[in-house]
Amino acid sequence: MLEFRQVHKSYATPQGPLQVLDGIDLRLDAGESLALMGESGSGKSTLLHLAAGLDLPDTGEVTVAGQAVSSLDEPARARLRRDTLGLVFQQFHLVPSLNVGDNLRLQARLARRDDVEWAAHLIERLGLAGMEKRYPEQLSGGQQQRLAIGRALAPRPALLLADEPTGNLDETSADEVLGLLLSLVSEVGSALLLVTHSHQVAAPLDRCLRLTHGRLDPVDEREASRR
Amino acid sequence: MSATRLVATGLTLLWLAGCDTERDDAAPGEPAGFAGLGEEAGDFAQAHEGITLRFPEDHAAHPDYRIEWWYLTANLEDDSGEPLGLQWTLFRQAITSPEERPAPTPWAADQLWMAHMAVSRGETHRVAERFARSHSADELDDRDGQAGARAQPFRAWIDHWQLASHIETSDETTGEATEADTFAELELTAHQDDEHGGFGYALTLTAEGPLVLHGLEGFSQKSADGQGSMSSGSMYYSQPFWRVEGEVALDGESRTVSGRGWLDREWSSQLLGAEQRGWDWFSLHLESGHKLMAFQLRGGGADGGDYRSGTWIAPDGEPTALAPDEIDMTPLETRRVAGRDVPTHWRLAIPRAGLDLSIEAPHAERWMDTSVPYWEGEVVARDADSGENRGVGYLEMTGY
Amino acid sequence: MFTTLITLLSHYKRHPGQLAMLLLGLWVASALWSGVQAINASARDSYARAEALFTTGLDRLERRDGQPLTRDDYLRLRRAGLPVSPLLEGTLEAPDGTRLTVIGIEPFTLPGDNAFATAGSTSELAAFLTPPWQTRVAPDTLPALGIADRQAPGDEPRLTDERRLPPLVLAPSLPPDTLVMDIAAASMLLDSGETLSRLVTASNALDEAPPGLVLTRATTLASPGQLTESFHLNLTAMALLALVVGLFIVQAALGLALEQRLTMLRTLRALGVSGRRLVGLLALELLLLGIIGALAGIVSGVWLARLLLPDVAATLGSLYGAGVTAELSLPWHYWVGGVAVTLGGLFLAGAGVLWRAARLSVLGLGQAQAWRAGFRRQLTYMTLAGALVASIGLALWAWLAGQPPGEGLLAGFGLMAALLLASALWLPPLLAALLAGLERLVRRRPLAQWALADLQLQLPRLSLAMMALLIALSANLGVSSMVGGFRLTFLDWLEQRLVADLYLRPPAEQFEEIETWLGERREVAERLPTRRTEATLYEVERNGSTRGLALPTNLYGITPGDALMPSWPLLDTLAGRDAAWQAFRDGEAFINEQLAIGEGLAPGDRLTLGAPQGREQVTVVAVYPDYGNTQGEVLFATAQLASRFGAPPGSIGIVLAPGADEAALGQALTRRFGLGSDSLVDQREVKRIATGIFERTFTITRALSALTLGVAALALLASLLAQARERRRQLAPLWALGVPRSQLVRIQLSQLGAAALVTGALAIPLGIVLALGLVAVINVAAFGWRLPLFLFPGEIALTLATAVAVALLATALPAITLWRTPPRALLAEEANT
Repeated sequence: MLEFRQVHKSYATPQGPLQVLDGIDLRLDAGESLALMGESGSGKSTLLHLAAGLDLPDTGEVTVAGQAVSSLDEPARARLRRDTLGLVFQQFHLVPSLNVGDNLRLQARLARRDDVEWAAHLIERLGLAGMEKRYPEQLSGGQQQRLAIGRALAPRPALLLADEPTGNLDETSADEVLGLLLSLVSEVGSALLLVTHSHQVAAPLDRCLRLTHGRLDPVDEREASRR
Repeated sequence: MSATRLVATGLTLLWLAGCDTERDDAAPGEPAGFAGLGEEAGDFAQAHEGITLRFPEDHAAHPDYRIEWWYLTANLEDDSGEPLGLQWTLFRQAITSPEERPAPTPWAADQLWMAHMAVSRGETHRVAERFARSHSADELDDRDGQAGARAQPFRAWIDHWQLASHIETSDETTGEATEADTFAELELTAHQDDEHGGFGYALTLTAEGPLVLHGLEGFSQKSADGQGSMSSGSMYYSQPFWRVEGEVALDGESRTVSGRGWLDREWSSQLLGAEQRGWDWFSLHLESGHKLMAFQLRGGGADGGDYRSGTWIAPDGEPTALAPDEIDMTPLETRRVAGRDVPTHWRLAIPRAGLDLSIEAPHAERWMDTSVPYWEGEVVARDADSGENRGVGYLEMTGY
Repeated sequence: MFTTLITLLSHYKRHPGQLAMLLLGLWVASALWSGVQAINASARDSYARAEALFTTGLDRLERRDGQPLTRDDYLRLRRAGLPVSPLLEGTLEAPDGTRLTVIGIEPFTLPGDNAFATAGSTSELAAFLTPPWQTRVAPDTLPALGIADRQAPGDEPRLTDERRLPPLVLAPSLPPDTLVMDIAAASMLLDSGETLSRLVTASNALDEAPPGLVLTRATTLASPGQLTESFHLNLTAMALLALVVGLFIVQAALGLALEQRLTMLRTLRALGVSGRRLVGLLALELLLLGIIGALAGIVSGVWLARLLLPDVAATLGSLYGAGVTAELSLPWHYWVGGVAVTLGGLFLAGAGVLWRAARLSVLGLGQAQAWRAGFRRQLTYMTLAGALVASIGLALWAWLAGQPPGEGLLAGFGLMAALLLASALWLPPLLAALLAGLERLVRRRPLAQWALADLQLQLPRLSLAMMALLIALSANLGVSSMVGGFRLTFLDWLEQRLVADLYLRPPAEQFEEIETWLGERREVAERLPTRRTEATLYEVERNGSTRGLALPTNLYGITPGDALMPSWPLLDTLAGRDAAWQAFRDGEAFINEQLAIGEGLAPGDRLTLGAPQGREQVTVVAVYPDYGNTQGEVLFATAQLASRFGAPPGSIGIVLAPGADEAALGQALTRRFGLGSDSLVDQREVKRIATGIFERTFTITRALSALTLGVAALALLASLLAQARERRRQLAPLWALGVPRSQLVRIQLSQLGAAALVTGALAIPLGIVLALGLVAVINVAAFGWRLPLFLFPGEIALTLATAVAVALLATALPAITLWRTPPRALLAEEANT
């Protein structure tokens, strides 16, 4: 579903080039879930952006659903995101001009996979029933993130990329939202790449990797076993 | 004369020439006398002792002299016996010296003219003023400008104001010039529209006596600096024997009037001493048939006092020049006129003529609010002791 | 307090674009306004100087037979007691080619106290009167003479013919390009001998003209100030428009700057800064910005005025004969006024911001959620305010309808302003409703739906810029329709009026001889002599009732021949064209539209005019258009005008026979009569000059309306730039959701393009109504004539295209930025904000 092969990525900074990803190899199969952990600034988000085709690697290859991202032009990468991926951001990034219902179905409609029943089911599952006519800023933080998750899952993407989806929420909401996310992902059957710095969030997932100094390592067994 | 005229003209000069003291050619560091009239004669012709006056030629303008005037006053009465005064004056002023005269191109001028007319009756006093330019070459070309003065036949005019003889100078049948004295009978016509309905006059002046030369055969000294002919002075003669008859209009109303008039003629290039600041001038028609002219120049007399002069004129016109110490002139009373204190009541004594007069203006409101302001009005002369009426005349006062 | 101010201002350090936009708005608003005011102030100064001069305000006398007066005439009249004064007027060429007016005066007889009150002090009279005389001249004439101010006094500059002027004396109160000197000096310079240009006399000093002379009352010679008042009002209206449009930008920028600083303001309040102090500091901030903007604006305004002034001066000179210096002359109150107007406008625009800051709640609860409701409320207010302004406009219109035609120039402008403002206020509610409706229609098309929804979201920010665009577009369309219509009408009219091939202005003494000579030439098909004089219009009889007047009126004589009658335009006749011409030949009169409108006259009315032999009664049989004239005129057959009103001979129009040699006739005329080259003009030249004059008349109006459109485009650009960062934040999720950037850019362009298209479409009817107002209300009040309304599809299409082009241009910059933003930067912004 998603494959990184010897991916390198560095950014120019005033202090010289900063090597963010230094030879990443990663593979995620269909329906599999993977938690990506690491310190703040370790390059987790960069890895996610590369996976989404939002950015391109310096060297190496990112393959999504069998397509080499580097070989695609911008419109093609956009299409790939639209048709294959679902994205959930820490900042929700709802479209302020659209109401809850239209926000939820936006990507599905863009991908021409709008399914009324599925959308209604999602609304129900997300606890947003009766709020379809509201606008994003009229929702609480938890509701907004649930809406963002719904928007990402509405077209039933093959791969869901989630970047700290609970980072902006309090603990109770975070648990609730995470539970919902995992439950819906398994309902849709999407593969999931979830970026987090929380072990608690990472625990329920199939695998867990840590990004340190631009390289991926399996999460320390002791740490894992402590849970 | 007329110190008064001096003042008036002096002021005119000031007005016309601007501050002469600012001019480069003004004598450095030397005050130029009242209103610039003390300015040195420079390139102009000079009045001096020994000049013989010639008539009718001297009735005309003397453009080589700096200033000149034809100055007529008259004490009249209308049919009902109400007194009425009038003044008509034509001033001439040379704006360039004879050497600097511009070529006589159209409109070019070397002479400026100013005329005042006034009619007064009771409290009413109407005044008008006019200006004009001319070139002294006009006379040679025998063409009339806007203003001027010609000798034969006599005519002095500005616009439609004029004092002119109506005696023909050429025989109607032969066309030859005659020797008639055109100055013996004059017509004075002037009119001015104003917001009160207008005023003016149409008068006939008939000379009932000869011309009178003042001072030394017509040279009138104006200061006591003892410099003789080179000091300030003027050529000065009068015709004090006018019988005046005609019509005077005042505020749109016309009256038939008659009375006596006095015409002064004076020209000069340096009239005043540098220290003189103003003067008081009397012309009187006395009941006895005598005429009296007396003036004082304030400042410029011996030891810085006032300088006095005058002429005692017998009924037959025989003049007696009065020396400064033969005239006693004292202001008795001042009146507030146009914001100034003006002495309108005087004592004038001429012991040599047996005169001791109290001279008073029945109406003080005779201020001439012209571009050069001064006081000019009718006076009544009474015996200082008995109060008996002695005559009428005109008083002119400047520098107040 | 200083810390607080610095903290407040630190916002602009982070967002220099907003500061730039704010200053830009202030700058353009103030620049256009102060530019026009500078022009007006300079022109008024020139008028005041011209009016203070002796040529105005005095009645004038000229000979009835057109021959020059002489010095003898003058002396004769003076000796008859008439208070006349001689005046010589002529032109000399300065070394740089400037035509200088030389005025020779006779200061002793010049009426009133104006001569030296305006020309200098009395103390210099002797120098003025005697050789070498003096030339009194305003300092702004010196450059034409090639002299610097400092060396001017006493200098004797050379003229093109090597002669020298009398020594210069500066007299700032004189009109530009005017030399005043003693008549003796002037007569030498002009070589005029004993002749005079005219005699002048104090206004109304004479009851009637002396025999053989024509008396022109000063009242007939309207002062340049009065004549040009409408022109300046026009300029002021355009400048006001620009000011308002500029203030829209300011208001938009201030609103944005406040919104983005709400958190900061709350923090400051929480830190103990009182609400009152905060408002005071915001006001201080406004004041600082206002002063900077106003000063920059005034400097540019003066520059702009310098650029436009020569055109304005030329227009005023040719249209009204009013001399206006091409040099700026600005009184102190101009500078103060300029700053005051800018600051006033700024505080007006900032009042809302201050009000909101004053009511700021420290906790800011519910603020984020309230904006949507807030915008709805704002739309409601706009609708209501628009309705209020519209009803004011209606009231003005109703009032104007009850006024006599030709009145109410100011009210006319008020009506136009109300119309524009009401439309502008209604624009955002209209756009919002339109978008909401459309959004419902495109449910199935997610991107279109999003684009419409997104545009609604942008509307609060864009509405002011769109309002500015609407105003600028419709003003532009209105003005260009009016100007275009006028050009059509005017050219047509010129064609109809100028039927002769040559126009000859013979010297009065040769008039008869030349006319006879022309009559014998074979190449001359028809002679069309004209005459001109003036008379007092004493009575008007209309429907049996008589109205008394004492109106000095111009009389003009034309020759109703085969060439002229078919083409001479008539607006209204008593009983048809043919009957009108027949009656005209028989001695009845036509009147021009100005007189008809001004005095409420129509064909069939009878006029009583003063004439040398008593009073003359005529019937008005037709009304004709008379563009370019500012005064009423009564038209007669030339022969009638000569015999009944004693009009002096004027010019002769010459209609050539087919195939006649125009040049040969011209040469023959010149040779035979020794005429100067300027006494014979050919028709094409007349048309060229006339067209040139009218082109220039509207140059300024068009320049200003184009500048206003430019300002509106800037407003739009500034609004878009100011929210570009926020826009990118809004667009980023879509991009992340799989909408390519190119498509996002296209959507943005179509969003703005469509909004502008709608605005442009609204501007079309508005512009047409505006054009109608200009031709039917403003022109009638300002010039006395009405124009037919012409619509130009090209102009309309151009308006629409301009609207879209302006919007696309304004969108292009943010769009290109978006296009070129590296995705990472987009995401980084996303993460940071």
